[in-house]
Amino acid sequence: MSKSIIQQIRDVAHREWKRMLSHPVYLLSSIIAMLFCYVFFLTLMSEGLPKQLPIGIVDSDNSSLSRALERNINASPQVEIIAKYASYTEARKDMQKGHIYAIVDIAPGFQADLLANRQPSIAYYVNDVYLVAGSLSYKDLTYISELMSGFILQQSLQAKGITSEENLMSILQPISIDTHQIGNPYTNYSVYLSNILLPGVLQLLIIMFTIYAIGVEMKQNTTREWLSTSNESILSALTGKIIPHTVLFTILGLMGLFLQYKVMKFPMNGNIVLMSLAMFLFVIAHQSIGIFIIGLFQRLRDSISLGVFYGLLSFTFSGLTFPIEAMPRGAQIFAWLFPIRYYFKIYVNEALNGANIRYSLIYFAVMLLFLLLPFLVYRRLRSTIVAHDRKEIKYNRFNEQFQ
Amino acid sequence: MNNSSKPKFFFQLLHESRRVIYIMLDEYRMILRDSGLAVIFLGATLIYPILYSSIYRNETIHDMSIAVIDESQSYRARELARRLDATPDLKVTYQLNNLEEAKDLFFKQKIHGIVYIPKEYSKKINRNEQATVSIYCDMSSFMYYRTMMLGTNLGILESGKDIKIERLNVAGITGRTAEISVAPFRYEKNILFNESMGFASFLLPVVLVLIIQQTLFFGITMLTGTLREEKLASIDPKMRQKDKFFPTIFGKVLCYFSMYIVICAYILLVIPRIFQLPHIGNQLDIIRFFTPFLLAVIFFSMLISIFIRNRETAMIIFPFISLVLLFLSGLSWPESNMPWFWRSFGMIFPSTFGIQGYLKINSMGAGLEQVKFEHIALWIQTAVYFLATVFAYRIQMRTAVK
Repeated sequence: MSKSIIQQIRDVAHREWKRMLSHPVYLLSSIIAMLFCYVFFLTLMSEGLPKQLPIGIVDSDNSSLSRALERNINASPQVEIIAKYASYTEARKDMQKGHIYAIVDIAPGFQADLLANRQPSIAYYVNDVYLVAGSLSYKDLTYISELMSGFILQQSLQAKGITSEENLMSILQPISIDTHQIGNPYTNYSVYLSNILLPGVLQLLIIMFTIYAIGVEMKQNTTREWLSTSNESILSALTGKIIPHTVLFTILGLMGLFLQYKVMKFPMNGNIVLMSLAMFLFVIAHQSIGIFIIGLFQRLRDSISLGVFYGLLSFTFSGLTFPIEAMPRGAQIFAWLFPIRYYFKIYVNEALNGANIRYSLIYFAVMLLFLLLPFLVYRRLRSTIVAHDRKEIKYNRFNEQFQ
Repeated sequence: MNNSSKPKFFFQLLHESRRVIYIMLDEYRMILRDSGLAVIFLGATLIYPILYSSIYRNETIHDMSIAVIDESQSYRARELARRLDATPDLKVTYQLNNLEEAKDLFFKQKIHGIVYIPKEYSKKINRNEQATVSIYCDMSSFMYYRTMMLGTNLGILESGKDIKIERLNVAGITGRTAEISVAPFRYEKNILFNESMGFASFLLPVVLVLIIQQTLFFGITMLTGTLREEKLASIDPKMRQKDKFFPTIFGKVLCYFSMYIVICAYILLVIPRIFQLPHIGNQLDIIRFFTPFLLAVIFFSMLISIFIRNRETAMIIFPFISLVLLFLSGLSWPESNMPWFWRSFGMIFPSTFGIQGYLKINSMGAGLEQVKFEHIALWIQTAVYFLATVFAYRIQMRTAVK
């Protein structure tokens, strides 16, 4: 008569699976949303590092030297002069229209001043409203200028009789910088963003899906059927309910890892099995948060609003775009409450830095802690469901009598 | 004939406008009564701008923690470390002896950069050779990388310049001539429109516009979905105005529009001033630009809500869209480098133009003339979504009557 707990869970999982397939709107839209984001983010930034950023030049000097500078700028892969302007004002207007990210302004008499050792200057105007495009084009312009001034110095040194390669280099560039970009040697912008944005989208879907799956039973008055499948055990009812989702979202998450590390060949300096494990923990941690939210707020409508709020803040508190330690102290505390923060740390350790597992163990452990959340609201959630169930039974009896 | 038709027309107009106002007030009533809707329309629009502005208040990283490994143990190496520490960007928190110690701290994510000065550094400089310094950057965040590059470039270039001058002196070039030889021309960097190179000034204007669009979208779809749950067939289940769809549409639009004039003024004009975000734009231009934006968003949301059958549907499926829209706006990944199909895809959404326009007017001080493209695009969107909404409402309400 009484079913074992395994049996109960299996029955509820089976029921949930059938429910998902009979109203496939949410199932399909979750899968489509995730696949869409994979395609979107991985193709949007497929270039890796933005190339040929459009910039403008105001060449009032129009000398052989200023034209040489212009050629040098155009030769660099990072920026591209797309327009020449007669005046700075004209260029600035075009920048305000968003056509160019930077302006190179060469004043008249540049070459003459340079040859007469009067140290003329070039002005760069960078539009940092577009932080990435602005930073990158400025970095490139600085680099070209250093090259140019090195070139000019080299010529004047050669004229003074210093010609050997060694001597020249030691004067031109006494300290050379050997830059190592750990885990992302080509400064690939997509690697930096997609690795966290994509799990970010996944966690939004997981939280909403979990809240909905539980809340809708009460909304549609199906708790009776739900509980009878699980033999009145709330624990089995909840476990059985979320297991099909766990499978679904773990598959979607692992698919993301596959697309990033195998198809797009993103750097993976650690162990992909550990990353997959982190992904699995990431999925169940967010399911726990979903259960926690619906347990706390009880009503579907309030829980969903809070779920969206929490899910969107996850992006901020991953620390990906803006580092946590640069936030105000009061805000920093909240970063602890988001599993994506720990997933981010594990990803940095594994994929980028290739650090030993012992550096990440703590983050795995904290992600596991999130699994305790449902137990905090377990009694509350149970009484909510049971209370609703009683109402439902009463209502059914009333209907039977009425008929 | 002419005389009699005029008052008739006038009375009809009066009658129609009474219908419109009735619908408008009814929408207001529903929004204020429903706590969920009130939270979106009034709560989220009030809280989100304050929340995000506070979180990103600090704008940039100052004194990012790095380690210097000094194997050279020389005056010159200490000089370089001091220079790095003196930059506003970096702070040398650890002076270490070997790479292993640094790796440990780096893996613990306590430092975000390592500068390695090799043993022969000072010797090479004294022997007039080219010395090498290795830097290791934390690539987990673009901000770390940028800060490290800014700081080390500044510190190492400065040190290099001193050595250059010393060497030129040795080569017989001295004084002003040496200085000029080292830098035959100067280049000055001018940051326009976001002078502090700040993160909040960069991200917040975009988030503000997105908040306007997304709250309207989720609010309108939730309102429609809630009504639909009661009676599935119709877009306006209460049949407040029978099959008169024009008053229904205009009444709704008037409600959302009037509500969002106030909200927009708060989000777009007040918030940037409170939190010292960029606000150099002409306020009148902002108002004129955001009129079609609001209308386009309203009609767009009303159109999508045709397909929404339940209160929660949009909130469950679409939150991720906010992120996609942020990237479609061309703020992060430059618009000039987007694949053409994504750029065209972005044109579906009012936020793509709204964000660009707001950035240009508010952050860069462009006039309405300079955002003509975006402004016209928004009016086109308004027209297209308006016609589509009218068409859809017509079908929906006709079928409901039968």
